[in-house]
Amino acid sequence: MKTRAIIKKFLQGLLVLTLVLVLVGLGKWQLDRAAIVKESNAAAKVVDPKIYTLEELATATLPLDSRNVNKQVSVSGFYVANFRAPLQQDADGTVSDWEVALLQVDRSDPLSGILVVRGLWEDRLTNPEVAMSTKISLVGTLQPRQYDDRADNEPGVISRLDSSVIVGLVDLQLYDGFIAAKSESTRDGELERERVVPLTPVSRIAGYYWQHISYVAIWWLMAAIVLYLPFYRRRIAS
Amino acid sequence: MTGAVKRFRVMALTAGVMSLLLWFVDLPVAYLFNNEDWKSKVAWIPFVHGWVYAVYLLTALQFSVKARWELRRVIWLALAGTLPIASFIAERKIVKTYS
Repeated sequence: MKTRAIIKKFLQGLLVLTLVLVLVGLGKWQLDRAAIVKESNAAAKVVDPKIYTLEELATATLPLDSRNVNKQVSVSGFYVANFRAPLQQDADGTVSDWEVALLQVDRSDPLSGILVVRGLWEDRLTNPEVAMSTKISLVGTLQPRQYDDRADNEPGVISRLDSSVIVGLVDLQLYDGFIAAKSESTRDGELERERVVPLTPVSRIAGYYWQHISYVAIWWLMAAIVLYLPFYRRRIAS
Repeated sequence: MTGAVKRFRVMALTAGVMSLLLWFVDLPVAYLFNNEDWKSKVAWIPFVHGWVYAVYLLTALQFSVKARWELRRVIWLALAGTLPIASFIAERKIVKTYS
């Protein structure tokens, strides 16, 4: 009888402990989300004049760090594929089709590539001198991948600016996100064309910093309540 | 006890209103309509609801302890703040019994 009571108490304690750990974990999860929201919003607003190399801020196949979004990067390589990205909205709210190229990063080992928004689709014939063998050096802003499809994936068309939609098409290790080109140059000089400025990236996590902090408070408050409940029960019983 | 009931009443009504706004205004706007302008106009709702619920929890706990409620009722009272109307029902029941 005594053993049974001990086992019962032990199981109850284990249940309380598990619940507390789950609730604390949920609070920690919300705290991380709050930090991501804060970082991505800050990254989207801060203008960093420094131009980094792509390798400094990103690694092929790994998720793009939200702190590096909107920073300027320089990279050189060769355009190995061209796509139309329909119905893209720029910072002014204008919706148009964009020309997106896949840049095979120069001297990358293993071979890697990143999507580059070059400009408007209607201007794609502006620089006929650019061929697959032309080495391009570009400077642009690093942008996070898009999550919502603007169109269907068809040959030559990408539904959204996200390297995962072309994974099966190329034999390159792809970078997460894309570059919105501000300038491109070849050994013959700078390529002149109208550039597009993408919409200011927003955090992919819904909600606001203080909203997530309120959820942290709730989960941890619940954890404290669960921890207190056995004592409360004993108090009520007595 | 009267103070605890009063505090709980205020928070139950506030949490109830915020739950209604969250379920029937914020969530439909966030997930059914693709309108950024509307989304930014209702963005305060989940934020306020989060903090109101945290305070509601504290008042519900304080009331339960003073009323020496059993565990199951305490849990029910805590969860009532998350569902629309449930906190109104809890508030009515408590006022009827303890006022």
